[in-house]
Amino acid sequence: MTASFPKAQVVVYPGSNCDRDALWALRYVGFDAEFVDIRSHIGSDVNLLVLPGGFSYGDYLRVGAVAAREPISSEIRDFMSRGGLIIGICNGFQILIEMGILPGALLQNSTGKFICKIVELEVVDNETPFTRYFERGEKIHLPIAHGFGRYVKTNGLVNSQDNVIFRYAQDVNGADELIAGISNENKNVLGLMPHPERAIEKLIGSDDGLRVFLSAFNYIKTSSENMLQKTKVGVA
Amino acid sequence: MKYIDILERKLGRKVTKAEIEAFTVMWSEHCGYSHTKGYIRQLPRVGFGGNAGIVPLDDYHFIAFKVESHNHPSAIEPFNGAATGVGGIIRDILAMGARPTAILDSLHMDKVTEGIIDGISDYGNSIGVPTVGGELRISDYYKYNPLVNVMAVGVGRNEHLIPSTAQKPGQVIVIFGGATGRDGIHGASFASEDLTGEKATKLSIQVGDPFAEKMLIEAFLEMVEEGLVEGAQDLGAGGVLSATSELVAKANLGAIVHLDRMPLREPDMNPVEILISESQERMAVVTSVEKANRVIEIARRYLLFADIVVEVTETGRYVAKYNDGTVIDVPAKLLEESPEERTYGYRPVEMPKFNWIKFKNVDAHGVFERYDYMVGTDTVVRPGYGPAVIRVKSSSGYSLVIHSRADLGLQEPYWAAYITLLECVRKTLSVGARPLAITDGINYADPDVQPEGLAAQMKGLKDACEFANVPVASGNASLYNTYKGNGIPPTLVIGMIGKLENLNVPRPRKSAIYAIGFKDFKLERERLLWNEIERIAKAGYFIVSMHDFSTMSTLKQELQKIGLDMKVKSPKCEPVHQLIMVFGDVDTKLPKELIGYCN
Amino acid sequence: MQKYRFVVDVQYKSNVRDPRGEMIKRVLNDEYDIPVTSLRLGKSIHLEIEAENEGDAMKLVSKACEKLLVNTVTETYEVRRI
Repeated sequence: MTASFPKAQVVVYPGSNCDRDALWALRYVGFDAEFVDIRSHIGSDVNLLVLPGGFSYGDYLRVGAVAAREPISSEIRDFMSRGGLIIGICNGFQILIEMGILPGALLQNSTGKFICKIVELEVVDNETPFTRYFERGEKIHLPIAHGFGRYVKTNGLVNSQDNVIFRYAQDVNGADELIAGISNENKNVLGLMPHPERAIEKLIGSDDGLRVFLSAFNYIKTSSENMLQKTKVGVA
Repeated sequence: MKYIDILERKLGRKVTKAEIEAFTVMWSEHCGYSHTKGYIRQLPRVGFGGNAGIVPLDDYHFIAFKVESHNHPSAIEPFNGAATGVGGIIRDILAMGARPTAILDSLHMDKVTEGIIDGISDYGNSIGVPTVGGELRISDYYKYNPLVNVMAVGVGRNEHLIPSTAQKPGQVIVIFGGATGRDGIHGASFASEDLTGEKATKLSIQVGDPFAEKMLIEAFLEMVEEGLVEGAQDLGAGGVLSATSELVAKANLGAIVHLDRMPLREPDMNPVEILISESQERMAVVTSVEKANRVIEIARRYLLFADIVVEVTETGRYVAKYNDGTVIDVPAKLLEESPEERTYGYRPVEMPKFNWIKFKNVDAHGVFERYDYMVGTDTVVRPGYGPAVIRVKSSSGYSLVIHSRADLGLQEPYWAAYITLLECVRKTLSVGARPLAITDGINYADPDVQPEGLAAQMKGLKDACEFANVPVASGNASLYNTYKGNGIPPTLVIGMIGKLENLNVPRPRKSAIYAIGFKDFKLERERLLWNEIERIAKAGYFIVSMHDFSTMSTLKQELQKIGLDMKVKSPKCEPVHQLIMVFGDVDTKLPKELIGYCN
Repeated sequence: MQKYRFVVDVQYKSNVRDPRGEMIKRVLNDEYDIPVTSLRLGKSIHLEIEAENEGDAMKLVSKACEKLLVNTVTETYEVRRI
């Protein structure tokens, strides 16, 4: 048995526009990555799923609302239950929230306007598969580009601080408690408004996002090696 | 002579009502370029004549680019006017077989008009094309006539370059995209004047649908990738009529257009309305009968409407039918042959002493931070620094500048045009790029009242292009920017593409800051300045080339973001000067003065 | 002075395209098999205003609509007292 590269798929919704950027970033760190169309199926050997940024269905009704109700959603839920890793970036985060996989809501920025800039973030939790390569409390820089990124906690849904993964260093969009990214309780699903896939090379402004994908890559590698190790032990 | 009389003479008979409608659109200034085509012919050109200008980037890629105005629609309805302006120019780039990669905008208005900014932001952000640069000029001269010029750029692979014509009889044209409604009927003539010589004032609002545009982009590129597209045109001003007649007329072919096959949003439209509707987000694709079904299949998968609407014929006649009835039947060439207004000669005079006419300074951050300038992950130099630099993954990169000098245009249009081009060259060189070509956006008042100003401006552009050895690849003209007889200053917007051999773009760093060059202007020194800029950029020093150094708040803020504090005493200079700002102590034979520090 | 509450219902004019409404209608038709034949997306603005009497209040609401709330080039509106 040869160790294969971790496999990733980027879900392309009608109106996704960061799908190609996500694919580029995944391949850049070494993932065996490809697109998956919403009429198609999530591969059985996939380790990581990325829901990319963009304007699915134009965001004409509510951000992420129509995309969240696509038939592929049930496959995404199954994938999550099996422990697969999911990153929802920007519109992908909005879709995860509309699907009910992540708690809370994302509303229009307090400025009422789209905001595009590189912001400073604090890594709140480095014990997730996506943040192992960061220090706890580390300050990093990632781009944001959204009109509806103001995270609000909804009644009782964010039950503990454990879910918050990234916080803005300063207020940018009016989010509750400066929340920029959260995870589910099992920590195999990350949703965030900033764009790590846009920050993988210094040439284009920052390479802090690289470590989000490297963390996931390394996490998948080590867990599959552990599995392999266990199998070998079992055989012996 | 009225155009209607010219038309009847050429046809050799009375025109029909339908023909009047059709030719009003096709011979409008907006579609026919009657006042400017004589001047445009005189410009040094490259890759000209298609939907957008084409220049080679490297052995494998070409760049398609063009600037287009949407001034009149933006005056009536800022949000949708600006949004559909973005949509239209993006489709021009797309039609060449290129993926749109960047948007720049040149905005002239009396105050920051939120609707215009929101329109560009809403549309550009949604379709995932970064808005990477622009200029924002605030002045009361544009109170009634805001100028919204949008430049779009795309990169394609050489084997995907699509002609803007049909090639042979037997081909068909599939029209796909959003459904057709009454929107923007006579938009083209509204943007200029109608056939009878009356200035049109009809209200004509087009509403942008960025989601459909995004689907259109992906569907079209998939068709190109599969080799299904043999020719293409976007549907803009003049709708089906303009797009399909251009496709066949350029190849001396004819067409039979089945208007009854067009998918309609408003079912009660009459055939002429279907023919000239300017509904947005539609494209015409020339293909073969065998490939047409696959084209339709792809379009429908992207939630778009599509049907085979046109058969290409050898007759040279443009025949539009509705069921069995003929709506119009005219020579296809005639639709393209809009009457040409006379051009005026212009003998350049010595450059006058220009006065400073200051446009209001605004902080551009409030504008460009509402545009997604990073999507695509290729933006190497982002807004706020001047020129943008975009890379091509697995190749090199290119620089983009959009620039105008209406403050000079107001005083003397020949030198204004000339200087605008020279300053574009300096900006391009300052990021280490070499100029490849330009696209020109002519914005002018009434050419019938002041023909000499237009002649001077066009001659200035021509002479400057020849001086700089930079050709024109595409362009656009917006005339009749007047309100109650008062016009805008001659405003020539130039968009320049430059090529970078590598992406080691000079970056600002902690250093002393020098003003290098001359506080006034002499043409014979310009090449010397260019050589110095090229050399200094190559040596890795960050260069700022601006026409007005008195307000550098945007740059200062941008530097703060990367932890640099710029403190400079703005160098005093003439409105036309040959001065650059350099970060670092570089040896030069040009005059050099320490003006501050960057810490 | 009294307080009056109103709803302003803003819609695109019937001859102005509503791409958002069209897309939503299409999804309802195609993906949910709900036979919606027309769908237009608008805005509803709830506001409370101080005035001497209802007539004055209504005038002020109309002024607010004409001056800011409604783009009279593309939109129409209806005001209802609640």
